[in-house]
Amino acid sequence: MRRRLTLALLISGPALAQEDELSQLMRSLAAVRERRDRFTEERAIPELDLPLPNEGTLSWSAPDRLEKHTLSPIDERLTVSGGRLLYERRDRDVRREFSLADQPEMQALVEAIRGTLAGDLPALRRHYEVALEGRHDDAWRLVLRPTSMRIRASVQRILVTGQGAQPTGVDTEGHGGVTRMRIRPGP
Amino acid sequence: MRRLLAALLVLAVAGGLLAWRVPPRADLVEFLPAGRTPASAFLFRELRSGAATTLLLAAIEGAPREELARLSRETAAGLRASGRFAFVGDGSLRIAEAEEAFLFRHRYLLSPDTVPESFTAAALRPKLEALLDGLRSAAAPLLARFGFADPTGAFLGLAAGWLDDSRIESADGAWFAPREEGRGARALLVARGQGAGLDAEAQQAAMDAFRAAFEAARPGEARLLLSGPGVFAAAAAAQIRGDVEMITLASAALLGAFLFWRFRSPMLLGAVAVPLLAATVAGYAAAAALFGSVHAISLGFGMTMLGVTVDYPILLLTLRRPDETLAEAAARIWPTLRLAAVSAAAGLLAMLGSGLPGLVQIGVFAGAGLLAAAATTCWGLPRLIPAGARIAARPLPGWMSRALAALRGRRRWAFGAILAALAVLAATGGPPWQRDLAALSPIPAAQQALDGELRGQLGAPDVRSLFVIGPGTEAEVLARSEALSAAIRPLVGRGLLAGLDLPSRYLPSPGLQRQRQAALPDSGALAGAIRSAAEGLPFRPTAFAPFLAAVEESRTWPTLDAAGFAEGAPTISARLSPLISRHGGQVWGIAPASGVTDPAALEAAARALNLPGVLFLDVKLEMERLLADYGATTLRWAMAGAALVVALLMAGLRGLRAGMVVALPIGGAVVVALAVLALSGEAIGLFHLAALLLLAGLAIDYSLFLAIRDSDQAPPQNAPANGGGPHCDDHRPGAVLTCAISTLLTFGLLALCDTPVLHGIGLTVAVGVAAAFLLACALSAPARER
Repeated sequence: MRRRLTLALLISGPALAQEDELSQLMRSLAAVRERRDRFTEERAIPELDLPLPNEGTLSWSAPDRLEKHTLSPIDERLTVSGGRLLYERRDRDVRREFSLADQPEMQALVEAIRGTLAGDLPALRRHYEVALEGRHDDAWRLVLRPTSMRIRASVQRILVTGQGAQPTGVDTEGHGGVTRMRIRPGP
Repeated sequence: MRRLLAALLVLAVAGGLLAWRVPPRADLVEFLPAGRTPASAFLFRELRSGAATTLLLAAIEGAPREELARLSRETAAGLRASGRFAFVGDGSLRIAEAEEAFLFRHRYLLSPDTVPESFTAAALRPKLEALLDGLRSAAAPLLARFGFADPTGAFLGLAAGWLDDSRIESADGAWFAPREEGRGARALLVARGQGAGLDAEAQQAAMDAFRAAFEAARPGEARLLLSGPGVFAAAAAAQIRGDVEMITLASAALLGAFLFWRFRSPMLLGAVAVPLLAATVAGYAAAAALFGSVHAISLGFGMTMLGVTVDYPILLLTLRRPDETLAEAAARIWPTLRLAAVSAAAGLLAMLGSGLPGLVQIGVFAGAGLLAAAATTCWGLPRLIPAGARIAARPLPGWMSRALAALRGRRRWAFGAILAALAVLAATGGPPWQRDLAALSPIPAAQQALDGELRGQLGAPDVRSLFVIGPGTEAEVLARSEALSAAIRPLVGRGLLAGLDLPSRYLPSPGLQRQRQAALPDSGALAGAIRSAAEGLPFRPTAFAPFLAAVEESRTWPTLDAAGFAEGAPTISARLSPLISRHGGQVWGIAPASGVTDPAALEAAARALNLPGVLFLDVKLEMERLLADYGATTLRWAMAGAALVVALLMAGLRGLRAGMVVALPIGGAVVVALAVLALSGEAIGLFHLAALLLLAGLAIDYSLFLAIRDSDQAPPQNAPANGGGPHCDDHRPGAVLTCAISTLLTFGLLALCDTPVLHGIGLTVAVGVAAAFLLACALSAPARER
């Protein structure tokens, strides 16, 4: 597959090549129906001296179910399925269910990851300008810029990096801070 | 015949003009009692025409949850787009950015947490720790936005207190009723119409807009259930209208058929219609002149009472002797007819004296109508009916004449019946007094149950138990609301109520706002407190600069009033506005209580609070007391009216005995009617009293006209004495029987109505009329053998 991607890049003109390459990437991402990954996250906020670390598991199940379960230092679980979002904090006895449509900021953040995992380019483009850049060998980097002014007030840019069909990182920049999530396959 | 038709046409045109100039009013505002105290008067007015009337509660059911949520969201969007509603509450309720900014700016004036202790290092420390914890969670974007400018959480606390109705499950942008075994899901919505109050028409328009928004969401199988005062008013109006239309048509047809069968004369129908129409026009004109407008209920009820006037032309035409002209006959029976009409009108005294606006209006309507009908019969009809025309009742069937003849003079039977009725009354203690207003309501029980259910599920207070605050200035009302808020806590603790929705929950009084400003520390002190609270936590020194700036700024903000609040925060203000009411220069506050189980106990406890300008009112209790007051007054006036009637009869008949003979069947009929009501378990209310008066008015006719013959034997100076003659002996019971059956046809139908008021009246009058006729017959002198 790698060879085919490179081939496509060589043959087409730059813009067309990128579009083609993007579809190729999306197809290879979409081919993975189930994922179970571990993540570590560091949230850097300008008001804080040091970033706040988090870790947990990330599960994906096509077509649209995504679960982000933070295990440490807090127990928090976000489950997205279709248009619904379930937020649970067992350590605080909190359980809330939302419609994603009612939480535009949250929806944008969710779709950035979910759209990537699903290989659903139209879904990504509903919320973002999508650019594929910085390809080296098998590694790729997607740059997502929110199309909505309202979202841009809190999120300026999301960088999704990956290796082949495996996303490896999501950096979310906004409010003068950045949240860096590193992803690796895990139990 | 032509003259008769012309007269009918003239009357109809006059009535039409009158109804066009002064159209009947359909809303209940002026029909119902005004209240015993200024506070209760305010409350009743408010409930009938104030903000409470703009509330619509809705449920959507009959589809899967996702579909219900979609319908709810789209219906709510449609309602908001219609511009008809000041507030639409559903699961997608959000505060716009400008409003959020406004509330955020004013957070320290609005938040109950603004006390000096909140800004010490000791109080700030746990807040900062919580902020740090929140920043680790998925809520971090929200906290990064608000947390550093508002580490005490004043704003998020306010928002949660205002918008989070934890009782309602929110999912998918819709509110859902708690899940229940064996029942499908139910999405909930609430909407409040524009303006301070709605009349029936505007309520109908709001309901139509709601249904249109629902239809536009393509509901498919799903159903929309609506409730609220507007829905109730419309349901009541529709129910009464339906009943009245059915009764009017059916009774007119039956009555017409019966009279035609008795008389075989279309002219008679015209002759009956003229006094009835004249009476209606006169009654309407009198009520309109006295009260400025006529209520639809007065019109309906008044016309029912004027059904009595059908008797007059029937009596005139059937009691006319073969050798008399109609004018001579009219002149002969005029004293009796006059006495009957005046006595019946005097019987209405109780209505006039009751003080209940609706009853007074009906009394005026019926009284004026009765007199007009009597006058029209005696002076108008002889000129309208051609001299040659003979209208006579066909002879009664033989068995009926024989039965009537057999009944006459059976005084023992009559006394026996009256005594039996008295015994029933003594044994049962009389019919129970109607205390529960809900029983009077024409609204179907299912609709009332739905309303209670929706209010419970939505957490909307049942506007039954409330505190009324004021009157005073806005600042005074808000300050009293705050005092009440503090004073009520022990009562909540005792379980007398679950909570109060107070105006001060949304907008603090200017005094309290200033007090909060004074509680805010200056920049230096606050910076010190933050520094020591943040010790050992990873916050940068400048992290809380926006907090310091906001507190400093808040210390000098001008205080907020309701107008400024409404402008800056329309969504939250929609919660406040129904709780504040302005009349003229005065402001009243309303605080609906929820979870009240024993209103009487709460009333006593509330009185013991002894808060100036704050009054607890339970609408149902207050209404019951009010009705009891009115009932007692009406009863007193009814006694006075009865005495007056007896006095009039004695004066008119010039004799104690003659008067008593006429009065006895009347009183007897009332007693029998009461006994039957007691036996049938019907609780009696004001409208039953009114019906008894109506019954008495009818009984007077029967009794008088059956008794005139008795006066043959009485001293010759008796006025109607020359009226009786042996040759028309047979006519009299027949004529009165015709009258009685006409009445029975109308009121018997009324007894079949679903509207409780109409049913009660129908039953009372139908039973009473039958009793009055039979008693009057039995008490009259035996028929002579000829």
